Amino acid sequence: MKKRLKYIIAAVVVVLLAYNSVYFEKLSEVKAEAATGKFDAASYAATFWDTKLMPGLNQAVEVNDLMAQLQSDKEAAFKAHSNALGIGNIRYFLIKGEGELSSINENDVTILAMADGEQKPVKIATEFVYGNAVRDALGLVDLNDFSNTMDLNNVSEELNRKIRTEVVPPFRAAAKKGDKVTFIGAIELNKEHLRLDEIEVIPVALEVVKE
Amino acid sequence: MLKKMKRVPALLLLFAVLLITRCGSNTGAEEPKKVAVIISTLNNPWFVVLAESAAEKARALGYEAKIFDSQNNTALEADHFENALASGYDAILFNPTDADGSVSNVLKAKAADVPVFCMDREVNSTEAATSQILSDSYSGCVAMGKYFVKEMNKKGKYVEILGLVGDNNTWARSKGFHSVVDNYPDLKMVAQQSADFDRNKAMEVLESVLQAHPDIDAVFCGNDAMAMGAYQALVAAGTEDRVKVFGFDGADDVVKSISNGKIAATGMQFPVVMAQTAASYADEYFKGKRDFPQKMPVAVELVKQENVEDYLAGK
Repeated sequence: MKKRLKYIIAAVVVVLLAYNSVYFEKLSEVKAEAATGKFDAASYAATFWDTKLMPGLNQAVEVNDLMAQLQSDKEAAFKAHSNALGIGNIRYFLIKGEGELSSINENDVTILAMADGEQKPVKIATEFVYGNAVRDALGLVDLNDFSNTMDLNNVSEELNRKIRTEVVPPFRAAAKKGDKVTFIGAIELNKEHLRLDEIEVIPVALEVVKE
Repeated sequence: MLKKMKRVPALLLLFAVLLITRCGSNTGAEEPKKVAVIISTLNNPWFVVLAESAAEKARALGYEAKIFDSQNNTALEADHFENALASGYDAILFNPTDADGSVSNVLKAKAADVPVFCMDREVNSTEAATSQILSDSYSGCVAMGKYFVKEMNKKGKYVEILGLVGDNNTWARSKGFHSVVDNYPDLKMVAQQSADFDRNKAMEVLESVLQAHPDIDAVFCGNDAMAMGAYQALVAAGTEDRVKVFGFDGADDVVKSISNGKIAATGMQFPVVMAQTAASYADEYFKGKRDFPQKMPVAVELVKQENVEDYLAGK
């Protein structure tokens, strides 16, 4: 009898242990819980756009001024106007300009500044809007706020997505060759291997001026 | 007189103690701090450059430096860490063998108050190393993806050859590339296989893929060694003029191959910059700085037909 009681108690203990060792949860709930602690690149990018990038657009340097400075004193121009989160030759500038829309191409548009007849056309990317130019150009993102590199990459990705979907389409729909256009955008330049003939602007603000 | 005699040894003793203390403090101030450079492997010239640049920079900053070769073996790497800590090294410039397996070694150093600065390869912890100085592989491959789409006119079939599947760089490169290329539905990836960053394996992988897909238009490889292997496979199949090959690293032979039209493009990494930055960070740490970024990206530059002249040897 005593032995039987022992077995029953042992069985109850085993069942209790087994019951408490296994539990079921909905996968969607677990995923949602995991996501709450995650970095939300889309909302970071939206806040960055509204509270830092837009108020900072007045710091953009005029494109012809920048070109002249780069040609006369490259070091000084990079020091005064460029930013980058990382180390290396690749640096970013926020520039602005206005001029006549001289061509509308599949992947870009070109603008000729009216102020200077000798100025080369400025190429504005409308298709290949990728990279870190917009994130880094103003130097407003602090690397120390990010321990995960992928979060930083995703911020660029979200900013570029916003440009591809919100800045470029209304411009391309409205713009015609010969229109007067104003732009503010970010460019990437290589300090060591500077090529001023390859400049491509990632637009942040791009508008046809109604006269 | 006797009293005076007694005072002499006492004064001598005091003088001797002062002398010893002074000598001791002098030795402490003059002895340079020691920096250990622990590298995943010295079997690959790329990592030799990384190791030697780090050690040279540490010596130039006035420290003693010694290189330890982990031979791609995490257990050997653990021995190096124990030896370095037991021998009183003051900082470790580190290129890990394994993103996960190396974390415990870095934590041991942290527990002993010895700062660790990772170079080129990261460890999967943001709490272990003092700072990690890494190639911005993702952004480098975003630029590569953009160039790839332009070169392919937004359409065609391609193969991706990945590096070691357990290596973070493999996926950073692949994700950066796909963050652009996947937006173009007419670019179809017909195969994605790993060749472990190895030239011969890449050749074998592409040879077998070509049997099923002889009509591919491009191959994107996770490093330059694999790009050279892929190119060899294309030469054997007689399609090297039609199929574009893209690599990553900036190896001399690939830069030359870009200039003579065999390879389309590569991402140039800068091991010397990473190594020197790690040594400079150690110097700043010794001087009291503590707020280092956990991960410091080092820009990767796209080398293509249009700018290859800038990157040929000696430039």
